[in-house]
This record gives sequence, C-alpha cells and structure tokens, in this order.
Amino acid sequence: EKDESTASKDSATEVASKSREGTAETPKQKLLDLIGNMKVEVSYRNKLQQLKTREIKKQATNKLEGPDSEGSMLQKTTEDTQRGKPLNPELVKAASAVASSLPLNKKQTESELLAQLRRHEETTDKQKKGGTINIRNVISEMAVKRQSPAQGGLRISRRISLELDEDGHRIKSERLSPQSSDSRRSLKVGRRLNIFTKASKETENALKTVSSPTIWDLEFAKEIGAITAQPPRNGFEEMIQWTKEGILWEFPIDNEAGMEDDAEFHEHIFLEKHLEDFPKQGPIRHFMELVICGLSKNPYLSVKQKIEHIEWFQKYFEEKKELLQEI
Amino acid sequence: MAARRLGGSSWQQVVSLSRRCCLPGGRRERYRCSSSSTALGKTVENSGVTQEEIVLPRRKTWDKLAVLQTLASTVNRDPTAAHYMFQDDPFLMPRNAANSRLFSLSKESGRNAAKYIIKQFPQYFDKTFAEPNIPCLMPETLTPQIEGVSEEALKERIHLRRVKDAVDLFDQLVQAGTPVSLETTNSLLDLLCFYGDGESASEKEEEEKEDLEEPGVNASEQKAPKRQFQRGSRSSGSRWRENNNAERIFKIMPERNAHSYCTMIRGMVKHGASAKAYDMYIDLLNERHKADVHTFNALITAVPYLKERFLERWELAKVFLNHMAQQEVQPNLLTFNALLKTLRRCGGVGRSMSLLVIKEMEALDIEPSLATYDHLLFIFYRGVDLSPSGIISEVLDDVEKRTFTPQDPDDANFFATAMQTCCDLKDIKLACRLNKAMEKGDNWKFLDMDRLNAYWSKFFSLLCMMEQIDVVLKWYKEMSPSLFYPTPKNILDLLQALDAANHLEVIPSVWEDMKQLGFSRRQDLLEELLSLMSREQHPEEIQLAFAKCAEDIKAVHEPTGREQAPLEWTGSALGHVAVLFSRAGRTQDAWNMMERFQQINRIPTDQVMDEFLNCAKQTNCPDEAIKLVKLAASLGLPSSQRLKSRTEKEFELSEKQKKTLESIKSDSDSSDSDSDSDSD
Repeated sequence: EKDESTASKDSATEVASKSREGTAETPKQKLLDLIGNMKVEVSYRNKLQQLKTREIKKQATNKLEGPDSEGSMLQKTTEDTQRGKPLNPELVKAASAVASSLPLNKKQTESELLAQLRRHEETTDKQKKGGTINIRNVISEMAVKRQSPAQGGLRISRRISLELDEDGHRIKSERLSPQSSDSRRSLKVGRRLNIFTKASKETENALKTVSSPTIWDLEFAKEIGAITAQPPRNGFEEMIQWTKEGILWEFPIDNEAGMEDDAEFHEHIFLEKHLEDFPKQGPIRHFMELVICGLSKNPYLSVKQKIEHIEWFQKYFEEKKELLQEI
Repeated sequence: MAARRLGGSSWQQVVSLSRRCCLPGGRRERYRCSSSSTALGKTVENSGVTQEEIVLPRRKTWDKLAVLQTLASTVNRDPTAAHYMFQDDPFLMPRNAANSRLFSLSKESGRNAAKYIIKQFPQYFDKTFAEPNIPCLMPETLTPQIEGVSEEALKERIHLRRVKDAVDLFDQLVQAGTPVSLETTNSLLDLLCFYGDGESASEKEEEEKEDLEEPGVNASEQKAPKRQFQRGSRSSGSRWRENNNAERIFKIMPERNAHSYCTMIRGMVKHGASAKAYDMYIDLLNERHKADVHTFNALITAVPYLKERFLERWELAKVFLNHMAQQEVQPNLLTFNALLKTLRRCGGVGRSMSLLVIKEMEALDIEPSLATYDHLLFIFYRGVDLSPSGIISEVLDDVEKRTFTPQDPDDANFFATAMQTCCDLKDIKLACRLNKAMEKGDNWKFLDMDRLNAYWSKFFSLLCMMEQIDVVLKWYKEMSPSLFYPTPKNILDLLQALDAANHLEVIPSVWEDMKQLGFSRRQDLLEELLSLMSREQHPEEIQLAFAKCAEDIKAVHEPTGREQAPLEWTGSALGHVAVLFSRAGRTQDAWNMMERFQQINRIPTDQVMDEFLNCAKQTNCPDEAIKLVKLAASLGLPSSQRLKSRTEKEFELSEKQKKTLESIKSDSDSSDSDSDSDSD
C-alpha cells in the first residue's frame, strides 16, 4: 500500500503538472491553480487524518463504480463529518471535478489528489510538533515555482538589503545573507575572479606605446603629488622645499651654479699665452702685461671677450706700428 | 654622522662606529651622508692585512637634497610648540583646531594674493636680481604669442589652457574651411572634457577677483601644485550640460578615433553624466574601437550611478572587466581600486566579492595601495554590524611592512578610516600598530592637517577609554598642542578617565587647557567639570584649587562688556559653584551664589544649603547663616525648618541675631502650620 501511495504521489504531481499545462484557463484550471498554490490551514489537520484512514480503507476495498464515485464520496464525507472535522468540501468537490474532467481513472486521480492534500497536512503537523518550522522547506515542498532555495535566499536577502539601503534607513539587518562565512574571511585564502591573465613581459613592452602625456595625465600626476605635499615640519624641510622649487642654493654650494661658462679658471687668469704676438720688451709689452693683469681679475667678462680685448689691442698696435714706422 | 662623532672619540672608535653605521644601514637614508665611512673601513682592514689590494671606492655623488635631508632627520617634533608653519609670533600661535585651520588658510591666502599681484602687474617684476635667476618667482607669460587663425595658434591656446579662446579659434578654423588635424582636435577635446565646458583657473582669475576667504577651493583647477586642504578633484562644480562645446565639436568631427571616444567618456563620467558615458561607450564598441584602461576605470567608477540594485551593479562592473579582457587591455591598480570603490556601494555583495578582487590583484602582481586597503576596511567595517573578521589585522600586517608612495587620490583616506575602525572595535593594540605604521618612513605625509587632527583625536578618545591614567596623561602631554588640538569630546573623555582613576586633582590643569582651547563657554563641559569637582570633599589645597576654577567659571557667566553675551546660569552649575566656594571657606563668594538662585528661578538643593551652613559655621559667620535661613524661608523650602534648628544649635548667636532668627520663623508660619506649634 505504501508503495502504491508513493507511486500515486509521484503520478499525482505529474498529473497535476500535466493538467496545469494541458488545460486552458478554464474554471478547472483555476481550481488546479488553487490546489497548487494551496496554503496549509490548521483546520485541515483532523480532516486529513480522517481522510488518511478513509483512503486506506478505500484502497483496500474494491473499486467503486465510476459515476457513483462522486456521490459516494460525498456520502463518505458526510460520514466523516459525524466522526470529526471533514475535509474542506470545496476542495473535495474540486478534486472530484478535476478527476471527472480527466480521461484517466477518475477514482485514481481523485485519490491521488487527495493524497497530495494529505501530505501537505502531514508536513504541517510534523513541523508544528517537531522543532522549528523551516519556512523555506515548506515553500519548496509546495512546489510553487521552480526555484532553487539558495537563489531564493539570495533574492530575499538582496531585496531586504536593497530596501534598507535604497530607502536610506540605517536598519542593520542582513540576517539572510551568508554571514556564517564572514568570520572565516581572510585576504590570504580564497578564489579569484579569473577574468584577467597576467600579461607576459613581451606583450607588456609591446603595449607600452609612447605618447605625449595628455591633460588628463598631467592633472592626475599633479593630484597624486599633492596627496603627500604636507607643509614643512621644520626649517630644514622648508629649505628642502625651496631647493626643489629652485629658490635656494643647492648644498654643497657651488658658486658657479647657474653660470654658463665653458672655460676653466686657468683660462681666465693665465692669459700670457695670448701675448705671443706682441714684442717681448718695451713699453707695449709692459702695457699689455698690465692689461692682462686687469683682465685676469675681471670676473665679468667671458674668456672670449677677454681674448677679443687683447686682439683689439693687437690690431690697434699693429696699425700704430705702421704709423710709427712711417714716421 | 661619522663627522659628528669625531669630536669626542678616538680614531678606532670612530672607525668602528662608522662601520657599524654603514653595514646594516645600507638601506636607511639617514646614513647616506657618511660618505667617507666605507673608505675608512676598507683602509683599516687593509692596514691589518697587507696582502689585500687597495680598492679605491668610486666617488659618490649626492643629490642636491642629501645634506638637507640628513639635517632634517635629526630634528624631532617639539611637543610644546605648535606646527612649524605657525612659528612666527608667539601671540599668533593657534590654540585650537578652528584657529589652526584659519591661520593656515590665511597663510596660504597671503601667498595666493602675492602670486596674484605678480601675475596682474608683471611690468613691475621684470628685473631679475637673483643670480642665478629664479624662474618660479618671476611672472609667467601666459598670453598667447602666436596670432592669427591657424592650427599652431590653436595648439598654443590649448597648451595654455585657454578654453574659450581655443574653442573660438577652432570654430573660426572650421568656418574658414581649414582642416584641423585629428590630433589637435583630440587635444582640444581633452581640454574641454577635462574642464567640463567650464573654464580653467587662469581664465577664472581674469574674470573675477580671487576670493581670499577660501583659496583652497580654487586650488583644484590651478596650475600651481596644491598644498593643504586638498580633497582631490572630485567632479568639479560645473556639470555636463546638454550639447556643450565638447559634444558639439565631437559631433562635427569628420573622423574620430578611439581617443576621441575615450576622452568624451572620461569627461562625461567626471562631470556626472554617467548615462551618456555609457551610451558613448556603446558607440565606441559599435565603431569597433578599443577603449584604454583609463576609460574603463572611469566607466567602473560610474557603475553606481547606472544601476540601483547591488547585484546588478556588480554584474555591470563584471561586464566592463570582461570587455577589458576581450579587448586585451591590461588592468592597473586604479582599475581595481575603482572596482572596490564601486563595491563599497554594494552592501553584502561587496563583502563577498571584494576578496575575489584582492586575489585577482595578487594573481596579476599588482600591489595594493593604501586606497585599496581603505576601500576594504570601509566595505567590511562600516555601516553594518561589526562581524569579527580578521580583515583589519591582515591589512595592518601588509601595511606595516611597506612604505607607500601615493598612487591613488583616495590613498589619503586610509589612516583616518583605519583609526575609526580601531575605535569602533575598541582595540587599542590595533591602534598602536596603526600608529607605528603611520610613523614609518614617509607614511605620515598621507595625513593632511584636518585628517591629522581627527586621527589623533580619535586615538586619544580610545586611549582614555582603554588605558591607564598615567599612560593617558603622558600621551596628552606629548600630543597636544603640537600634534593635535583636543576636541570637546576628548576633554570629556579625559575627565571621565580621571574620574575613573580617581585623579581628580588634575582637573584644575585641564581647566587651564580648556580655557586655552576656547571651550570655557561650553555648557556640557562646564557641567561635567563642576559636578566632578563638587561631588566629594577633597583635601585642603585641592579644594582651594577647585574654588579657583569655580571662580573662573563664575567669571564666564558674568557680563564682561565684550561682544560675547554672558553664559546663562543653570541650577546645577550654580549649586556646584556655591558648594565649591563653601568648601573652600569663601563665605562671601558662596553667599553671592546663593543670592542668584532667585534670579534664575531655581531652588538650591539641600546639599548646597547644608554645605553653606557648614562653611558659615567654620568661618564663624552667623549673619550669613541667618541670611540663608531667611532665603530658604522666602523660597518656601521644606528644609528651612531644619536649617533654622541647625543654626540655633550650632551657632553662637547674639541676642539680636536670635531675635532675627525667630522672626524668620513667623514668615514661614503661613506655609508651615504644623511645625509651627512644635517649634515654638
């Protein structure tokens, strides 16, 4: 009997789903939907207990006649009312209506449907008596829609958290989110996204195309630099800042900083080599040596200018020599 | 360092010291300056073992800042002084956080004013006195040199960031039919998208006089490097208008490349037009272009504005990431930081997904920056019940090991967020670890003045809660006022810590600090202070010190003739002050207080009156006692009877006084009929 009942349950669900798919939006379809979406009510408890016993009796006895089944069912139910709370007559009627509409064995269908109802009651009983009611399980047993429990849980949690955060209320509640994993969370262990792959060195270098920095890049660099630009904490840091800006001399001090001078110091001071074209003796030489002495002390002229000076003198004295010699 | 130590020690000691300096400290910057140390070390070795050949070390070159950096590293913070930038006139040293902010802003504002003058009147600043010349102090030439309608002129104006001029010139060129190269148009688009069709700072200054109140506001667009009070250029004030110049020019471009689309997307995201940016991205895909990594980063930051539900946001972000992978664009640090920033706004989804992102970064060998850790801490520790996850200690583990360079504008938020988290978790050890990490290397630079104050303020509150009083006081002395200025909450916490440790004698010095900080008019602090002082009897000198404080507090409530209105007395404050005066034996002052009760329509408590009577007894002023009884009677207090009997018993009254006392009784007759017959 039990095997039969389980088999009948399976087929009942099959039948139920088939009938849901098959028939159009008839009143019977609506009734079927009603059965499918049925919420368990407390008043059924005793009724279905009776139904159970009656069902077993029914299966044990031989099959009743077809057209009489409805009437006998009703009779039976009236009998039940004498014993205890009967099944909801509407449901029974609905079940029998369904059974009569289907081409299969009507009694069989009816019994199967009623067995399904019974099962709902049993589940409720079990969970009412037994410990906590797991709403999720009850909902899934009802087979309302095809939905995995996990997804359902996530949806619910998402909806709750969305409502809270979108409403702007600071109600802290995310009970249904997977909180058990929080305490185990760590940066070290875990999976990765697996979206990217590490570029090899060659591709990296190939991808680096040199282009002049755009305004975006320049401004970004400025922004980054400004993050750590804190005011100096002491005089030395202030001097460091000034040195970076170019306001302060750089230590160790190079007193030729900023001077563009190609020549070394000795070229400024030892200018005698430029006197080779002059006579070795005489007032001109004496004069030129004084000129050289003055030039070597002159910090304002470049070497080129000094050489030009000497050459000017040389030219001058050349001209004068001709004059002198004329005379 | 070697040179400094030469003074007192012998040669050998110097050498060994210098060797010790250079061997382990190869990495440390401080000892870079000991240039001769390696040479010394080598020669000593050589003198011992003659077979070794002499290897001359290469001459070291120092960068221009080496000397100064070494000197700077020898200077520590002075715990008694304010920040260096305020050290000018002792009178102008700021005493509290508000003043310090004001003063530093004024200093910056002065600099900006000077720059403005130089810019506006360059003709007065054309002589170069300095040798070598200092270009940054000279006026800049910002006027465009190239005239005429040409692409070169356009390029120059773009370079000088003259938005309006550039757009006008571009329009002229287009109208004249001159083709403008794609590159120039793209750089024009860059300019427009960056400034969002607003103006750059140089143009702003020409149009309007600078607002000297808040120079920091202009800083976001200025060319000069920003100093303090910079929060990073978030989307600037100008929003993306419909069909602005950028869009218009984009539409009329004869050809566009990927760069054009990318810069438009970035501009739209920056200025708040996220939906348009997304549409532009779709256009880019339709044209079969590839976006660059910056564009993707911008798109990822725009995700919270495109979708509402958390899962949808994450899904969209993943879509962008997948596109990146398909287009073979390598993500960088900013990509992942943008991703985490988006996950901040995804609640629970953020918590689960952020760890995956971190692992992805690790797999790609991208080192997290401080901004990464900041986002992580926010995701896990803000806004919901603090689940005990070990994320923060792992983050601290990583942070402790490294010194950071700035890579992301959000790096600056890390330390503040971390300290806030430590305070929420009430974990002093974590906070100390965080402090150590902050003081390592250059990490301290990530905290600007405002954040620094908030950081230390929170740390101090945590200390008051969790540590022994001597540790608290030690930190207090060291940290304020040089490092931070205590907030009113800090003072309250300090008072409570003192109370818990039964160290109430420190209160007068706390009061002095309060006066300096400018908190002497805060009702909540005054109440707390007074109630702590007057709760119990203390030894003589402490009581006198308390009375002095009470006198100061009384002065706050009196009209001073300055602009500030005097503080209103509350009943409890008045009572406390009266008690404090009484306990110190200052009868007259105490009586002054008692008289004010009627002025403010309050009734002194029994305790106050008893204390006053005690005081009168000790100082032997029966007149005052009688006055008190009169006062109590006139107020119709039930305790007046008791007070009267006390006065009779405890005081030595002259005949006149006794009569006066009895006459008072008759006043209370009307209100106190029962006791009447008894007492007489």
